[in-house]
Amino acid sequence: MTTHRDYGTGPPDEYVEAEIHRMLTEDPAVAEQGITVVRRERALVLSGEVESAHRREEILRRVAERFPDVPITTDIGVIRAQAPTEIEQLP
Amino acid sequence: MVIRIAAVGDVHLDEDVVGRFRPALEQLPDSADVLLLAGDLTRHGTEDEARCVAREFGGLGVPVVAVLGNHDHQCDQVPQVVGALEEAGIIVLEGNGVVLDCVGGRLGVAGVKGFGGGFAGRCASDFGEPEMKAFVRTTTESADRLSEALRSLDCDVLVALTHYSPVPDTLAGEPLEIYPFLGCYQLGQAIDSAPTALALHGHAHQGSERGTTPAGIRVRNVAHPVIKQAYSVFHLGDHLDQPQVSGIGAGGIQQSWS
Repeated sequence: MTTHRDYGTGPPDEYVEAEIHRMLTEDPAVAEQGITVVRRERALVLSGEVESAHRREEILRRVAERFPDVPITTDIGVIRAQAPTEIEQLP
Repeated sequence: MVIRIAAVGDVHLDEDVVGRFRPALEQLPDSADVLLLAGDLTRHGTEDEARCVAREFGGLGVPVVAVLGNHDHQCDQVPQVVGALEEAGIIVLEGNGVVLDCVGGRLGVAGVKGFGGGFAGRCASDFGEPEMKAFVRTTTESADRLSEALRSLDCDVLVALTHYSPVPDTLAGEPLEIYPFLGCYQLGQAIDSAPTALALHGHAHQGSERGTTPAGIRVRNVAHPVIKQAYSVFHLGDHLDQPQVSGIGAGGIQQSWS
């Protein structure tokens, strides 16, 4: 019979990573599908780009709230929205 | 004959983003005849968010044509979302098309949201559990509607507008494992079934800009995180000899062919 392991000090990192990744999409306060979660030696790194600084702050707040024990660092940018300086000509 | 097309997708509007695109959009009528929006216009697909899209992208002075994306379906308010966009004069396509009279000729745009499924040799099949069959049938029905819409338009230049990708080329940069959630080859097949000049899509935020269908039709991923500007501008015309990129000067586009 299969029994679920007692994780002891907490779930393995891979499950935490999966849970954060899903939360970023499924949490209505975030709803981002384009954020990458990468496990590094000392922390989970969130990277990607969002449409506003407010959204970046909200991602940090929600992840820290839900996973207070997981060290997280972020490298999330706000996508530039300037007019184009070049066109592409397609014959 | 040159038709100038501006396009962007995945703008994910809500109150916090309103106004960010507007300064660039005010300049758009100087450089484009039409703006195409490649889905994921909102964050969760609520009517309120659609009104934000209407405020930001409405009243531009050029026609705006959109398809919806998966985010625009999240709250099951598609009719309200479409209603809010249409009230602002935005044309929303889903399995149909529109022909616009531009200075350079008649531009036909056929649009569909599309769906996932994967690409040739590595795709889902209409087989097995009802859930799996429903998934693949959604894909094929969507592609069939696009094909029909493309072939029904009488125009000089034909463009296909989708949210999901018709080719794997423009997904480069995304993890291979999620390709089946990002697009399907059936959309490419639909695009190749008509004399399409250009196919535009969004959805793949970490993908890349350029690709071609198996029949050689150009595909561009215009997701905002990919193009990293308010919109991209494409010039389509018979007499242009070579594909090239030109700068837009302070006084407008440098017409390097004239």
